[in-house]
Amino acid sequence: MIDINKLLNLLRYDPNDPVLFNSAFFFYFFAVFLMCYLAVHKSKAGRVWVYTLFSLFFFYKACGYYVGLVILSAIVDFNLSKAIHRSKDKSFRKTLLIFSIVLNLGLLFYFKYTNFFIGMINDMTAGHIPLLKLILPIGISFYTFENLSYTIDVYRDEIEPVDNFMDYLFFLSFFPKLMMGPIVRAADFIPQISKPYFIESNDIGKGMYLIISGLFKKIVISDFIYQNFVQYIFDDPSKHTGLECLLGVYGYALVIYCDFSGYSDMALGIARWTGFKIPPNFDSPYQSSSITEFWRRWHISLSSWLRDYLYIPLGGNRKGKVRQYINLGLTMLIGGFWHGASWNFIFWGGMHGSMLAIDKVRIDYLRKKQIKFSGWSGNLLKVLGVLFTFHFVCFCWIFFKASTFHDAWSLIHQIAYDFQPEIWPELYTGYTAVFWVMILGFILHFMPAKAELSLEGFYAKIPVAGSVAVMVAFIWLLVQVKSTQPMIPIYFQF
Amino acid sequence: MPGKNKAAYPFLIIAGSLACLVALSQLNYSFSFKDFQFRKLDMLSDIRTSPVEDKNRPALAGNTGDGRPAAATDSVVKVKDSTGAVTTLPNPDAHHDYMSYTGIMQYAAAQYGEDGAGMHAFLQALADLKAGKRKKVRIAYFGDSMIEGDLITGDLRDSLQLFFGGQGVGFVPITSVVASFRTTITHTFSKDWTDYSYKKDPPANIALGLSGHTFVPSSSSWAKYSPVKKPRLDKFDEVEVLYGPSAGTGITVNDKAYTLAGNDAVNKLDLRLDTGQQGMTIKYASGTQSPLYGVCFESDNGIYVDNYSFRGISGVELGHLSADMVKKMQEERPYDLVVLHYGANVLWKPELTDYSWYERPMTKVMDNLRNDFPGTSFLIIGTADKSYRKGDHYVTAPGVEALLSVQHELAAQHGTAYWNLYAAMGGEGSMVKWVESDTPGANKDYTHFNRLGASKVAALLYKAIMNEYGQKNNIQ
Repeated sequence: MIDINKLLNLLRYDPNDPVLFNSAFFFYFFAVFLMCYLAVHKSKAGRVWVYTLFSLFFFYKACGYYVGLVILSAIVDFNLSKAIHRSKDKSFRKTLLIFSIVLNLGLLFYFKYTNFFIGMINDMTAGHIPLLKLILPIGISFYTFENLSYTIDVYRDEIEPVDNFMDYLFFLSFFPKLMMGPIVRAADFIPQISKPYFIESNDIGKGMYLIISGLFKKIVISDFIYQNFVQYIFDDPSKHTGLECLLGVYGYALVIYCDFSGYSDMALGIARWTGFKIPPNFDSPYQSSSITEFWRRWHISLSSWLRDYLYIPLGGNRKGKVRQYINLGLTMLIGGFWHGASWNFIFWGGMHGSMLAIDKVRIDYLRKKQIKFSGWSGNLLKVLGVLFTFHFVCFCWIFFKASTFHDAWSLIHQIAYDFQPEIWPELYTGYTAVFWVMILGFILHFMPAKAELSLEGFYAKIPVAGSVAVMVAFIWLLVQVKSTQPMIPIYFQF
Repeated sequence: MPGKNKAAYPFLIIAGSLACLVALSQLNYSFSFKDFQFRKLDMLSDIRTSPVEDKNRPALAGNTGDGRPAAATDSVVKVKDSTGAVTTLPNPDAHHDYMSYTGIMQYAAAQYGEDGAGMHAFLQALADLKAGKRKKVRIAYFGDSMIEGDLITGDLRDSLQLFFGGQGVGFVPITSVVASFRTTITHTFSKDWTDYSYKKDPPANIALGLSGHTFVPSSSSWAKYSPVKKPRLDKFDEVEVLYGPSAGTGITVNDKAYTLAGNDAVNKLDLRLDTGQQGMTIKYASGTQSPLYGVCFESDNGIYVDNYSFRGISGVELGHLSADMVKKMQEERPYDLVVLHYGANVLWKPELTDYSWYERPMTKVMDNLRNDFPGTSFLIIGTADKSYRKGDHYVTAPGVEALLSVQHELAAQHGTAYWNLYAAMGGEGSMVKWVESDTPGANKDYTHFNRLGASKVAALLYKAIMNEYGQKNNIQ
């Protein structure tokens, strides 16, 4: 029997059950949305209104009345940007820009960092300022960055401000990327709003590929490994042997990549099916043979945002070598801090920043001496580079994931001093499925891009009935492996 | 040239898939392949009226339904006292429901006599210690990974020593998988000791120590122990090295040479450490490579709790200990109370409710232990709550109450004390609360306590013991 109360409750925000792409609710939501969207697709205003209203409802389902913050920040930034654009007075423009930055970062800081600083003051002064009961509004980090890039771009005269407020609200609240990114630039997105809703076979194929592979990464690989292995290790590293801890770290490397990129892929796929192209956010990052390359392939929208709106304004590489290294370090430190208010994230950012600076020295040296490796030595160096980069990134993940510094060190201690490789047969018996899924995950990660393209091509060619069959079979498979506990994506908290 | 507009496709794919999935959900099919049970698809589970929850409780054979065994209606048990006269002792089952009572229940069994009933002997020993009539009381606390790294025992020892006196961690094995995790002593060792244990049987001429381990040195083996900066743990005073049969093994302790010689199953080298020294390093030096068990740290009076943790065991393994070794150990290092804390590894199949496979060998183990530790009190700790994921959330495994009834039966049959940790934690669903609270007391495996939770368990156990102690003293 269908319970009407339950049905009505489903439409309300439930703090214990925020909506996720990988929930049954989303399936219904998406179907109803697509129906309404299709009904109005010939009118631009209709598309904008339907998309925006569904997005706001989706956001309400995810974080309740904090949906108001998106609307409020859209109103403020829409008007400030217009005023910046209209004004000819340089200092007035600057004042407005600073006002926008302070306001946006102020909100972000208030929700994300207040308690961190209260804790720090308490630690330093042995004070007892009570922590505030703050809930981090989901997605605030993402839309704050989008607001900032928009206002800054208008200030720099790189883009014209949007005329229509609804267009801007639509851009900011666009539900596929609202909660977990990627960070979308107004300059890329807003021109797409006015285009008719027109999609071709390859959009269908690409969208289908992104949605299915995203769900696969999130549910089959990430959630499975996390729930059945990784969380036990990080919960209490000192109680596990070094071998378990090491495998736990490798597992986590896969978990965080598949979790985040899987969710990003779904966002890209959903956007694609509704006629919007968002640039990819990940490009097989563990294939990188240097840390510089890693950051070109990992969370691309964040790294390029930090480059354009932080590293370059700080001076980039234009103010001498020393300043360049400082700028790199500072950018990564702030990037680390963006991930969360904890020393662990700051340390994580600091490590990456330092390694980027070291890598810059290496690249500059090779360029100056005009040293190039090719042939077998080039291949060998590339393989060694991939291994080194992967292990460095994994080492940093330990700090990213561990709840405290102490936990991180005790995990490292176990790997260094208590390895106990002899327990492998026991371990394998206990976690057989987990280790095979891990191997599968890494194999898929190192597959050439050609394989992806052929799968996309396949999806593009099959008729609707075929797509339905593929989708149903895939969801049935998911239900078989899906952990029954909803797994909140890791990037939800950032 | 752009192709045909396929704007309707996404809607058709999603709506079509949804229709098929809802239709599939209506089919009442379920099938399995080999051991794998395929899950039923249910796209309407969020909006369907929920069926009445199946409690899935085990049927506890022979019980009255409120947790009391059917035979427990007698309010007294007849046993002999030390003079041979028959006396009656109250039967705790007649007063409490063992499944929900959070205190310690003390059983009597005819064959062990009044002195051997429940914790009487141990409580008497505590009273004597407090009154200055004896110098030391010792507890051997056996368990699995729940007490690894001195979890629970460390806090229990601390509370007991604070009240009854004593300084030192008691027994520490030669090597340990969780040495780095133990915060009550700093312990490092060389990797070249051969560790015989329940999991790696020793050759016929070597017996297992009480901890379930025996360590045989190689030519350069060493182990180092240092005190930690905590009250009652910050210096070494009386030290005992426990070892197996040895025909003159040379060792050094802080570079001073000693010879281990003794033919018994357990032998002891007594040392008194200079308190100025910051630790103790024991090294193999010469002669036959004889088995060593561990090192004990005490002062000259007070109470001591020895942590005998062994990862992954159910308690049945204690049957491998030789009677000779246990008896000799009792002479060298007498225990007034033996605690048995198991369960996590018995519950590996959460939905299993028949534990007769465990009860049979465990009964034999209890018979042997009772014989080998004459006059020693026993406390059986019933399993902690263990949850597993069922449907959408974590719930107490049906096996928990079934196992508790077996553990209770073992206690009642063998006239030991019994403490239901599951009830003390809060009963059904308590593990979920411990794991999911703002300051979690247990790990995400919904089985193991973390440091905070272990302290809480120790405090609950200490309180339960002190209640019994207080009651006994009031009676006297």
